Amino acid sequence: MEITVIASSSIDEGIGSWDLKTGTEQLQFKPCASPAHGLTAVGEKFLASSQLSARNTSGSIFYWSWTKPQAEVKSYPVEPIKALAANNEGTYLVGGGISGDIYLWEVATGKLLKKWHGHYRSVTCLVFSGDDSLLVSGSQDGSIRVWSLIRLFDDFQRQQGNTLYEHNFNEHTMSVTDIVIDYGGCNAVIISSSEDRTCKVWSLSRGKLLKNIIFPSVINALALDPGGCVFYAGARDSKIYIGAINATSEYGTQVLGSVSEKGKAITCLAYCADGNLLISGSEDGVVCVWDPKSLRHVRTLIHAKGSRKGPVNNIQIVRKTIVANSNKTQVSWKSRGALIPPPLEKYERPVEDTMDGIVTVDPPPFSDVPVYSSFLSADLIDEQVKELQQQGSAATEMEMERLKLEYKRSLQMNEQWQKNYENLLQVVMEEEQIGGTN
Amino acid sequence: MASFERFDDMCDLRLKPKILRNLLSEYVPNEKQPLTNFLSLSKVVSTISTHKLLSESPPASIDQKLHAKSKSAVDDWVARLSALISSDMPDKSWVGICLIGVTCQECSSDRFFKSYSVWFNSLLSHLKNPASSRIVRVASCTSISDLLTRLSRFSNTKKDAVSHASKLILPIIKLLDEDSSEALLEGIVHLLSTIVLLFPAAFHSNYDKIEAAIASKIFSAKTSSNMLKKFAHFLALLPKAKGDEGTWSLMMQKLLISINVHLNNFFQGLEEETKGTKAIQRLTPPGKDSPLPLGGQNGGLDDASWNSEQLIVSRVSALMFCTSTMLTTSYKSKINIPVGSLLSLVERVLLVNGSLPRAMSPFMTGIQQELVCAELPALHSSALELLCATLKSIRSQLLPYAASVVRLVSSYFRKCSLPELRIKLYSITTTLLKSMGIGMAMQLAQEVVINASVDLDQTSLEAFDVASSKNPSLTNGALLQACSKKRKHSGVEAENSVFELRIPHNHLRSPISLKIASLEALETLLTIGGALGSDSWRESVDNLLLTTATNACEGRWANAETYHCLPNKSTTDLVEFQLAALRAFSASLVSPSRVRPAFLAEGLELFRTGKLQAGMKVAGFCAHALMSLEVVIHPRALPLDGLPTLSNRFPESNSFGSEKHNTPNLNKLNVIAHDGDDLGNRWQAKADVPSNNAIQRTLDTTLPLQESNRLKVGNDLATVVSLSVQDHTDIVASENGQQADVPEKVPEESLGPVTDKDVTAPKDGYEEVVSGTQEGEDLAVKDSLMEEASIGKKIESLGESDDDPIPSLQEGDFLSSSSDSDSDIES
Repeated sequence: MEITVIASSSIDEGIGSWDLKTGTEQLQFKPCASPAHGLTAVGEKFLASSQLSARNTSGSIFYWSWTKPQAEVKSYPVEPIKALAANNEGTYLVGGGISGDIYLWEVATGKLLKKWHGHYRSVTCLVFSGDDSLLVSGSQDGSIRVWSLIRLFDDFQRQQGNTLYEHNFNEHTMSVTDIVIDYGGCNAVIISSSEDRTCKVWSLSRGKLLKNIIFPSVINALALDPGGCVFYAGARDSKIYIGAINATSEYGTQVLGSVSEKGKAITCLAYCADGNLLISGSEDGVVCVWDPKSLRHVRTLIHAKGSRKGPVNNIQIVRKTIVANSNKTQVSWKSRGALIPPPLEKYERPVEDTMDGIVTVDPPPFSDVPVYSSFLSADLIDEQVKELQQQGSAATEMEMERLKLEYKRSLQMNEQWQKNYENLLQVVMEEEQIGGTN
Repeated sequence: MASFERFDDMCDLRLKPKILRNLLSEYVPNEKQPLTNFLSLSKVVSTISTHKLLSESPPASIDQKLHAKSKSAVDDWVARLSALISSDMPDKSWVGICLIGVTCQECSSDRFFKSYSVWFNSLLSHLKNPASSRIVRVASCTSISDLLTRLSRFSNTKKDAVSHASKLILPIIKLLDEDSSEALLEGIVHLLSTIVLLFPAAFHSNYDKIEAAIASKIFSAKTSSNMLKKFAHFLALLPKAKGDEGTWSLMMQKLLISINVHLNNFFQGLEEETKGTKAIQRLTPPGKDSPLPLGGQNGGLDDASWNSEQLIVSRVSALMFCTSTMLTTSYKSKINIPVGSLLSLVERVLLVNGSLPRAMSPFMTGIQQELVCAELPALHSSALELLCATLKSIRSQLLPYAASVVRLVSSYFRKCSLPELRIKLYSITTTLLKSMGIGMAMQLAQEVVINASVDLDQTSLEAFDVASSKNPSLTNGALLQACSKKRKHSGVEAENSVFELRIPHNHLRSPISLKIASLEALETLLTIGGALGSDSWRESVDNLLLTTATNACEGRWANAETYHCLPNKSTTDLVEFQLAALRAFSASLVSPSRVRPAFLAEGLELFRTGKLQAGMKVAGFCAHALMSLEVVIHPRALPLDGLPTLSNRFPESNSFGSEKHNTPNLNKLNVIAHDGDDLGNRWQAKADVPSNNAIQRTLDTTLPLQESNRLKVGNDLATVVSLSVQDHTDIVASENGQQADVPEKVPEESLGPVTDKDVTAPKDGYEEVVSGTQEGEDLAVKDSLMEEASIGKKIESLGESDDDPIPSLQEGDFLSSSSDSDSDIES
C-alpha cells in the first residue's frame, strides 16, 4: 500500500505528487490548470482534472496515467467544468458546470449517462456519500442539494414531475466553498463552508440544519476527523480552525482554537486516515503535513519551484495497491497504462441505445493467483469400492433369481420329454400287436 | 538379524520402508495372486497418507543405508503398480490405476518429476483403449486429473505439461460421443475442468470441437439433470482456455441467442410475436455477422425435441446456469457484460405467467397450456438466479439500470405467490440493498415492507385466532402508508384488491424459510437505510418485528425440551427462525431513527430472557444484542480534544461510570467490555484523536462486519444525541446572566425542540455549576463553557435513561453517595 499526495494549482504548474510516508517527490503531470475541487483520482487507475480556460465557450477534462507525465486523454464537454468527482470504485465521474448543470459519465466507455440542471449558478463542490449512492452538490448561489443517483435514472418518476433532489439546503447566503460528509451511512452528517464566513452542519436523515458556526474569516476548505466530533476549517486568514460539531457557541474561535503559520490563505485540506495526518495547501504554493494531535507540522512539500509560485487549490490522498511480485508489477503497470479509458462524450445518447447496455467489469486485482485443484484419487477408491460391493451383491441376487427361473424351465422341459417318450413307446407297442395278429 | 531390531516409536523413520513392504505383500495383488478383498484398498490408502510412506526422506538428513532401504521400498511399490497397470485383467489394472493416482499425490518431487511422463502415457493408453471397462476408464480420468494437479505446481514444466494435456483432448471428445455412463461423464467433466483451469493452452487447437461436443451433450435428450449442470458449469469455464475478452463475449452472445431461440418456441402463443424477434435482433445487430450457433452448424437440434416442454425448460435452465456461472466466476481480463440483453431476457421470462393474451387464445390448446404452466416455476427460478448473478457481477455499476430492475422486482413480487420464488426475490432484494446503498433503500423500502408484512403474517399456528384479529389493522396500516406514498388512485385500488386476494394464500403457505428470507431482507433494509426517508414505514416495521420476535420466542423457549423429540431439521429450522427474528429486531432497535426506539423496553426484556436459554446460538446472539443496545442507551460521545478533567469536582462519577459500562462476561465480549471501559475512562479524561481512531479500529477488527456497521450507526446516534444535548446546554447557558455575549433566547429555541420539563429539571445541577464558577474566578471563559457542556451531557444522559426524571434523585446524583446511584440505575 502506497499513499500518494497529489496537488494541483490554478496556474499551469502541473499536478505534483509525493509519497506521503517518505516525502519523496514523484512524477509531475502536465499540463494542468485546475479549478478548486477539480482534481480527482479515478479509483486507483488514473488522475482526472477539469481545466480552467480563458475562453468560457467550452471546457476540457484531462486524464493522466500514473506512469506518464503527459496528459493521455483529453475530453471536451459542452461547457467548462468546475467541480469534478469520481466514486470510490472509479466507475463513474461527475462534473459540475458553470451553468449549474451536473453531468454523470460512465468512465469505462465515456458515455454521458445523465445530465440534469442542478443549480441556478455554477457548481462549486461535488461529494459522493460513503456508499456512492447519493451525491451532494454545492453551488455559487449558496444552495446545497442531495441527489439520489438511482432516482435520477428512474424515468417513471421524472415523468411524474417530482423534484429530483432529496434535500435542498438554502441557508448559506454566499458561494459554497467546501462540503464534507462523514461515515454515518444513512445517518451521516454533512458539513459545508461558505464565503459568508459560516460553517453549517446538516443532518442527512432529517434534511435540516443542525448547527451554524461563525468564523472571523472566509472558510475555504474543510476536513473531517473520523471520530465525528471535530472538523478542521482552513481559512482565508491563513489559519486552520478546529471546530467542534457539538460546539456550545456559534463562534468557532471560542471552541478549540486554531493553528497557523506565517503564510497566505489556506485553500484546501485533506485528512489521511493512515497515520492520522492533516494536509493543507495554501496560496503560496506550500503543502504542509500536520499532526492533529500535537498541532505541529510534520513535513513541507513545495508544489511550485522557482520564482513563479502558483497557489495550491486541490489536494487529494490516493492509496495505490502495489502488486507483490516485481515481475508482475511491470506487467501490471503496462496493462494499466493501456487501460486508460476513452474521452468523455458531450451529449447523452438516445434512450434506445442505452438499453443495449454493456457494462465493463475489471478483473479482480489478485486474479493472477494460481489455482489449485484438489486431489481426488483417494476419494474415488472409496466410492468405487462401495460401488463394486453393491454391484456384486445385487448381481449375485439377480443371478440367483435367473438360475431359479432356468431350473423351473428345465423341470418343465424334462416332463415334456418324458411324455413324448411314453407316447412314442405306446405307438411302437401297438404296432407290434397288429403285426402279431396278421 | 532383522527380526531382533527394535524401533523407537510409531514415528520412527526406519518403520516406513517396513510398513510399505508389508502393505505390498499383504494387500496389493500381484500378477499371479487374485484380488480377494476390495476393502483393503481403503486401508492401504489411509496408511500411506498417515505415515507418508511414499515421501522418501532427503538423503542428507539420515544415514545412507536407511535412505537406500527407503528408496528400494518405493521402487518396488512403483514397479508393482506398473505391472498391475499393464495387466490384461481389468480388476488388477483398476487397482494399479487408482494407486498411481494416490502415488502422484504422495511421492517425492524428484520421483514425480522423473516418472510422471511414463505414468501419464500408461494412463492415457487405458483411456484410449475401446476395450477398457467403464470402471477402469473412470479411474484413469481421476488419476490423470491428479497427475496434472501435481504437475501444475512445477513452474519449469509448463510447456511439457501443456503438451501432455493436449494429448487428452481428442480421446476425451471421442469418449463424449459414445454413449457413456454417468460416472464416466462425471470423471471426464472433472478432468476437462482441471485442464482448463491449470493448463488452458491445451485447448488451443481443439476449442471449437470441445464446445460442440459439450453443447451436444447439453442438447441431448438423454442427459440427466445432474449432468446438465456439470456440463453447463464446464461450458462456463471454457472461455478461460483462450482468456481474452472476445472469447468471453462470443460465448455469452451464443448462450443468449440459444436461450432466446428456445424461448421463442416455448412461449409461442403466450407472448406477443414480436418480442422474440426483437430479442434475437438485438443480439445480432445489423452489420455484424451472426456467430455460429452454440454447438456447431446444426446446433444439435432435432425437430422432435421441440414438442417437449420439459426438455426445453431443462435446456434453458442449463444454459441460464451456464450464463450465471460465467458472470460470477472471475475472469483474468476485462469483460463486457451485456447487461441490457440479460435484463431483457429476465424480464421476458418473468412476464409470462401462463395466462393467455386475449388476442391469441385460438393458437393454444388447454393441454399445451397445462404443460407450459407445469414447467414455468422452474423457468422463473432460473431467471431469478440469472438476475442475481448479474447483480453480483456488476454491483454498483448497475446504476443506469437500477430503476428498471427495481420496477421488475416490484412487479414480480406482486404477482409471485410460490414460496421458493419469493425466497429468491428476497435474496435479490438483499443483494441490491447491499451493493447500492441508501439510494436503493429509498427505492425498495415500500416493496420490502409490504411483502414482508404479508409473509410474516400468522407467525405461529397456536396464535392463529389472536393473529387473525391483529391482521386487519396491520394490513390496513400498510395499505394506508402505501396509499400515502403512491399518488395514482387506480394503482391504489388494484393494490387493495391484490392484497385481499393474497392474504388467504400466504396464510396457509408461508414456510419458515420464506419467513427467514423476509426477515433478512428487513434487517438489511434497516441496516442500510433505516433513517432516511423512512417516515412512512418505520413504525409499522418496528411493530411487525417486535411481534415476530416475540411470537417466535414466546412458546418455544419454555418448551425447549419438547422439541428434542422432533427431527433435527425441524429443530434447526426453528432455531434459525428465532435467530433471524432476533437479528432483525435488534437491527430495528439499533438502526437510527428520529425518535427513541419505540420498543426498547420490550427488546431489553426479550434479549435478557433469551440470554438465559439453553440454545447457545440464541443465547450468544442475545448477549451480543444487549451489548449493541448498551451503545444506544448510553451514547458515548467521543470526547473533545482538550476537555478538562472532571474527577476532582465530582468524585462519585467514577463509580457511576464504571457501573454504567458493565457488560456480560463472555469471552468474545471481554474485548468489547474492555474497550467500553476505555471509552468510559476517556469520557472523563483528556483524549487524543489518534487514540480514538485506535479504539475505532479495535472495534472494527473485533466485531464481524455487520455488527461493526451497527456499532458505527449507534455511535452516530450518539453524535445526534450529543447534538441534542448541545441544544439544551445552550438553553442553560442563556439563563446565565454573566454571559454577556450570548444571543437572544428566541433564536436559540428555533435550533431544536425543547420541552419545559427538560429546561426546569436540571436547575439544581445548574446552581452547582454557578457556585463552582464563582469559586474559581480565574477559570477562562472557554473552560467554563466546556464544563457547562459536560454537565449538560450528563444531565441529558440521565434524561435518556428515564422517561420522567425525578428532581430529587437527580439532585442526589451530585450530592449523595453511590447507593443512590445504584437505586437510580435500578429504577
